[in-house]
Amino acid sequence: MRAVRRRIASGLVAKAAASALVLSAGVLSGCGVLTTSPAAGTFKPRNRGVLTVVTSDVPEPGFWVGTIAHPTGGFEYELARDLAVRFGLKSVHIRIEQFNRVVDGKLGDADLALDLITPTSQREQNLDFSAAYLTDPPAVVVRSGTDMRDLATAQGVRWGAITSTTFVGDIRSLVDPNSPVRIYDQQADMLAALADGRIDAVLMDLPLAVAMADRSNGKLTVVAQLPVAEDIAAALPKGSGNRQAVDSAMRAFTATGIIDQLLKKWVGPAAANADKAIPLLHTTRR
Amino acid sequence: MTASTLAPVFAAVSIKSPTGPAWEFLVLFLVVILGPPIVRRFRGPGIIGLIIGGFVIGPYGLNVIGAGDTTVPELGQLGLLYLMFVAGVELDLALVRVHRRAVASFAGLTFLLPMLFGVVIGFALSWSTPAALLLGALLSSHTLLLYPTVRQARLSTDTAVASAVGATVLTDTAALVVLAAVSGSQLAGGSPVSTALQIVIGLTVLIGFSLGLLPRLARFAFRYLGTDRVVRFLLAVASFLAAATLAESFGIEPIVGAFFAGLALNRLVPNEGPLMERIDFFGSAVFVPVFLVSVGMLLDPSVMVQGETLKLAVLFIAASMGGKLLASLFAQLTIGFSRPQASLMFGLTVPQAAATLAATVVGFNIGLFSQSVVNAVLVLILVSIIVGTVVVERFKTRVAPPDVGAEKIGRRVLVTLQDPALAKLGFAIGARIAAADTGVVRGVLATSTVDAQSRSELLAELSRAGFAAGVDTEPRLMVQTSLAEGVLHAAAEEDASLVLIGQHSAKAASALGTSAEAVAAATPVPVAIVIGSLERVGEVELVRLRDSQPNGAPAPTSASRLAAELATRLGGSRLRTRDSSSESWSAELRPGQLCIAPAASWQLLAFSDPPAGAAVIVVLEPGVPLITGQPPYADVLI
Repeated sequence: MRAVRRRIASGLVAKAAASALVLSAGVLSGCGVLTTSPAAGTFKPRNRGVLTVVTSDVPEPGFWVGTIAHPTGGFEYELARDLAVRFGLKSVHIRIEQFNRVVDGKLGDADLALDLITPTSQREQNLDFSAAYLTDPPAVVVRSGTDMRDLATAQGVRWGAITSTTFVGDIRSLVDPNSPVRIYDQQADMLAALADGRIDAVLMDLPLAVAMADRSNGKLTVVAQLPVAEDIAAALPKGSGNRQAVDSAMRAFTATGIIDQLLKKWVGPAAANADKAIPLLHTTRR
Repeated sequence: MTASTLAPVFAAVSIKSPTGPAWEFLVLFLVVILGPPIVRRFRGPGIIGLIIGGFVIGPYGLNVIGAGDTTVPELGQLGLLYLMFVAGVELDLALVRVHRRAVASFAGLTFLLPMLFGVVIGFALSWSTPAALLLGALLSSHTLLLYPTVRQARLSTDTAVASAVGATVLTDTAALVVLAAVSGSQLAGGSPVSTALQIVIGLTVLIGFSLGLLPRLARFAFRYLGTDRVVRFLLAVASFLAAATLAESFGIEPIVGAFFAGLALNRLVPNEGPLMERIDFFGSAVFVPVFLVSVGMLLDPSVMVQGETLKLAVLFIAASMGGKLLASLFAQLTIGFSRPQASLMFGLTVPQAAATLAATVVGFNIGLFSQSVVNAVLVLILVSIIVGTVVVERFKTRVAPPDVGAEKIGRRVLVTLQDPALAKLGFAIGARIAAADTGVVRGVLATSTVDAQSRSELLAELSRAGFAAGVDTEPRLMVQTSLAEGVLHAAAEEDASLVLIGQHSAKAASALGTSAEAVAAATPVPVAIVIGSLERVGEVELVRLRDSQPNGAPAPTSASRLAAELATRLGGSRLRTRDSSSESWSAELRPGQLCIAPAASWQLLAFSDPPAGAAVIVVLEPGVPLITGQPPYADVLI
């Protein structure tokens, strides 16, 4: 039996080596994650040779850097660029749309939206969603020095959120503050209110919260995270034939570590472990 | 209290819609419980019930378990590892050895043809090289879903069935190696040369760990830590998790590691042993069904009925089944199988499940395959299982079961002892005999009706001796007034292939001695008596008796053949033989020697005690079963 096992083992090694040689031939012929094939779905852009992406805020720290006309980087911008490369498109065109219109399915001629959107059953009535490219809990951002040691403290402060985001519901159901949640149309307005003390705390997606705090020169702090994880995915027009291709691309980018690399590059090395480093706000309801 | 006062109380009672882990697991297990029987009621394979059930509760069905849920998919991934581990453990490597030429030929054909067709189809569809290679690999692998059916039909030792089983080792290994290479090329990053080097190094380390280090570690751990059944099971689980982790750290898919871990533990975990029963139990109760349910959750009917999906499904079915059919036909023509045998091989190798699903899910997870491909593969799996079931059911009755005489002597060795002190030698001999057939060793403690107080202590001692000898057994107690009858019953109950009876001395006027002879006379199962004390089996000697016996009885021909077989298994290359007509041959043994001899009657044993430190195995001539006539030693069957 030992001899048989040795023979089997040597056979396996030989097969492994042969397969590896076949693999090198495949790799040398230019097959990588940043190329696509019909096996992973086909992508047909609305505008020839261009990936048109809609988002609500440019610039947005860590996610969209530069201007609409001259974007220079950012997590979601580079994600869009990698998608364009994978689909064989020459460039990325950015369009701006209000967040509430985006989640209502008003994408215009855009192929997809990259705007830290969490898929919900309500949104799925107007949009199709790709596989998630991030899964993170909502994080609490406060002015530095604001106390939020437990749920009772959290309930005693004034909260703000952007309209149509899932954070409005999260604050109401998980924190249940004593005063009404203030709703803002624009992120800039909400952050201004936080800065001048009209509100004390806001909820954001964890990576964006980390990026905001990092770039606030110490004025903002991420004090806690909520005990729920929310997917963040690309949104496509309802019934889009491109969903499978974008799905496959997101899975490939996640599996190959491209997402992690972009996160570290644009949000900061701490972002990858932020969910472990930031304290959990123990809420009473889930 | 009036109705008006109760109303607000009841109004305050709120019932929430169910959510959370308890609800999800409840739904999951309801699918596992109800899915297979419902589908079987319509004469479909149970596996389909799990996949359909997964769809029903999944995001494209009732959305009870939504797309964002991570618990079920993660448990499903563990189930996939478990499935591949069990596939490796269950493979009968002894059959591969016996039928190695047929196995190698058929394995080559049944792997290469569908692989070739798959790659050609992939390129024809303008797929990338890794996607085309992965398609070829998943079409070439197969799962022995219908092996239990042919085993029940007593065809497991048929050459064609053995070839199909053996081919599974090679096809699945080759398919998983291709999978490792393809996924490695996508995940590893870096230059092509460094990627290829990483995979080669990774596979070499993995194979070295799995086939070299892991069996030794597991043997050691089973012997010194595994006296508790739970610990033994957990050690098996830890083994495949370790191999999977090692594989992953080299950028190789963890299922490859889990499969190799299964091959590593193949000999240590006999298919019919208690540990395998537990592995099977947990696998079939939890892990594997959950994996299949999680696969069903990927089913999207809107994608499934798309022209693209159906076109892919037709191509996959043609490539896979065409390749498997051609392989069987070639095997019929070149190896010389009959048409029913070739059909049985086709039926056994056509069902696609474990490795196919594994490769597909991996391809999906790394973004090589779209949901259309996954759904097309699920159609292929469904069709292949149905076709395989129909073919095997039709042809299993057209292949004659192999001669019963060819049954493996080591399939189930029953070690019967009165004194646990003899267990070490008994179990060591039993384990060596069983190993060649990947069989199991069962321990039986024979006691009389009087020594009730010491039974549990003796049984525990026997159990410890079994673990120390590395035998996966749960010794049982046998309380009988007649030891011969007890052994006969135990042999029948355990479906033994060989009975080993241990005793200290042949000269001792024990009832067991006469019982052994009675057992040999009354059962068709071969019986051998182990006498003496030996620390470890070293030098082995086979004694060939001359034609005529001292008492004029004819030479024990069946016993001679059996003795030779046992001596070969125990002695291997160190076996020596000698001819003897001396009645005191066993007295001539040196300490450290184990001597094996055939015997025709108990009288021969009466002067056969070996010296201290040596042992003999006396193989008795089988008698005539009681049901067919009067046994020659019926008078001693008390």
